[in-house]
Amino acid sequence: MTRALVRLLVLVGCLALAACAGLLGIKPKTAGMQPFEHRAHLLNGVSCLECHGGIAAAGDVGPLHIPEPSTCTKCHQKPHDTHDCNGCHGATHTRQRAELAREHLRFEHRGHVLAANGECVRCHVAAGEARPESLLPPMAACLGCHHHEKQFVVRDCEGCHVDLPAERIRPESHVVHEGDFIREHGVRAASARDLCSTCHSERFCSSCHGVTTPGLPARLAFDKPALGGLHRAGFKSRHKEEARGQPGLCTTCHSEDSCRACHARENVGATGMPGRSPHPRTWLTAGRGGGDHGQQARIDPGSCASCHGGAGEQLCVGCHKVGGVGGNIHGAGFSSIKSKTRDVPCRQCHVPTP
Amino acid sequence: MHVSDANGDPLRLRGDAYAQTPPPSGMLVLQGDDRTERGPRSRWSLDAEALAWLGTGADHTGDVLTLVVRARDVEGRGEARAGRFLIATGAIRPLHIDGANAIGRTPWGTSLEAFGGVPVVPRFGERDYDWAVGGRLAQRVTDRATLGFAYLQRRERGRLSDEEVGGDLAVFPIRNVDIATRAAYDLASLGLTDALASVGFRTTDWRVELFGTRRSPSRLLPATSLFSVLGDIPSTRAGTTVRWLAAPRLDLLATAATQIIDDRVGGDGTLRATLRTNEEGTASVGLELRRQAVPGAQWSGIRAIGTAPVAARLAVAAEVELARADDPARRGDVWPWALLAFTWRATRSWDVAAAAEGAATATARAELTTLLRASYAWDAPR
Repeated sequence: MTRALVRLLVLVGCLALAACAGLLGIKPKTAGMQPFEHRAHLLNGVSCLECHGGIAAAGDVGPLHIPEPSTCTKCHQKPHDTHDCNGCHGATHTRQRAELAREHLRFEHRGHVLAANGECVRCHVAAGEARPESLLPPMAACLGCHHHEKQFVVRDCEGCHVDLPAERIRPESHVVHEGDFIREHGVRAASARDLCSTCHSERFCSSCHGVTTPGLPARLAFDKPALGGLHRAGFKSRHKEEARGQPGLCTTCHSEDSCRACHARENVGATGMPGRSPHPRTWLTAGRGGGDHGQQARIDPGSCASCHGGAGEQLCVGCHKVGGVGGNIHGAGFSSIKSKTRDVPCRQCHVPTP
Repeated sequence: MHVSDANGDPLRLRGDAYAQTPPPSGMLVLQGDDRTERGPRSRWSLDAEALAWLGTGADHTGDVLTLVVRARDVEGRGEARAGRFLIATGAIRPLHIDGANAIGRTPWGTSLEAFGGVPVVPRFGERDYDWAVGGRLAQRVTDRATLGFAYLQRRERGRLSDEEVGGDLAVFPIRNVDIATRAAYDLASLGLTDALASVGFRTTDWRVELFGTRRSPSRLLPATSLFSVLGDIPSTRAGTTVRWLAAPRLDLLATAATQIIDDRVGGDGTLRATLRTNEEGTASVGLELRRQAVPGAQWSGIRAIGTAPVAARLAVAAEVELARADDPARRGDVWPWALLAFTWRATRSWDVAAAAEGAATATARAELTTLLRASYAWDAPR
């Protein structure tokens, strides 16, 4: 019985995998998404320059030198149908990548073709593969001749890349933006701000961390749900739980009065319901300890400051000033360089009110 | 300003209009940047960048996010910025200032950065005697490591609100392994403000990251706040994130972390699958499961996303989330949220998006918001 069930599950699993093979990208591609048969042409001794005529003299601008159907019919004199050859032979995205490379890279085939003795495969290594994803040379191919050690050190990419922020390429080798990069980026950027700035413009960082941001990118780019962000989707409903879950995290970007400002703007209390205290009954009690509020305030003081900050601090001072019924406000091991009588906030409790 | 023999890159300007109902009812974002290199014998390049927005309503009248001019030595020996920008260097937490910043670098890998200015107050507000100064000294050790030390002093109304020193270290000890750490120490109320570490290991299909964070919430507040002197109960979080490219179009991501706050232990976890359903990556579906179980903050959530081009210039995106708190505290048992958006790329320059967003929140049994965004990008020809 068990063996039969295992067989059945294996069979169902295999069938499911086969059914989803296309979706997962495992199945061979259909027409229109097939890479061009460069390898077959190479094996038949067709030189790249025979089809891509004029590329040996091509500069930084101008056409891409993708062959026209008339070029194909010079050899394939009896085409199997009347459609444009490029419609099926050659993946659309491969041509799009070539167009983007033309737009974003400073590169001239003129000179390179000569230096490589017309052996294009030295750079376009993928042309020799059966099903290449892209024919663009990897950056490593460029670095095979152009070492650019100095440019790497000083992050001078503009000799080849017209404008990295606009190019929006993702680095494959030195910085990988994968996994939970929103959490990770802070510690990664600490030592490498100049590296970040080779691709990201000033406003990229400010769009989240700036205090005058008009709206977070996840909000403004509402049509891109794959775009990450701490405040994505129903964050408004769950922000209380998320904030409590990681004390201090909100304060790394938000000032302590931003909660108060937002709640005032939305006209809602801390509970979401007007007139209801957000604190439990055990929050403030008479007698030793005074309830939970002291411990909770030490765990997440930013949460207290979000409502009771500024002038609201007097609520605490009323009980906790020196000689007050609330006792010493400082936790164990507290130390400060501030003057008790001159500096704020110390003087609020340590200087007797007249 | 006259620039001779200019070899200019494309001038880019972009305008975004964003509208939302109910309020804020509208916003117009104007952003642009330009870069000019001087002649081939010149060592300096100059670029400028600005993003300003205008809005409606008392709290959305408009402001400037970025307005900065940068001069940069093309050989990387130094650069200077002036205007409104974000300082994020070393272990110093990001700081939005109106001021200036300069960096100098030596051929042997030492770099020195200094900045100073007035912390930005929203809506062109001002406060007397607010200022911030600081800097960072860093040294590159071969191509494998960079070590830096940073300092920040910030004053609000002349009173010391933050004074910190920090250290950062990035190491690439062997191929496929990278380590990054940073820690900041509070000089006002002596103690560790925060410390973060991340160790990553990567192969073609896998990436495993171990991370740890320790934060002292009271030291993250300005030293002028009464809540900064309560004493220290730090929170510590450690965990791992694993990313697996399970199939050419299928990404799987898992994060698990343990958190210790005071003597209480909790944890959280995320599972996410993303499947790109076409070769160009313009269509995808994704599913995410989340669970957070920290004392006082326990909730679970499920989120699904989908994007697909429905015509040559038209794309649709949908996003659905259901979240449930273990203790909803009369805010409803389940918090649903959904969005349906359409994007129409009319031309290469025009981009229009519209969406309807629905949710049930603590304040509304059902809430419907409509969103509209229109963007136009000007690209000068090369």
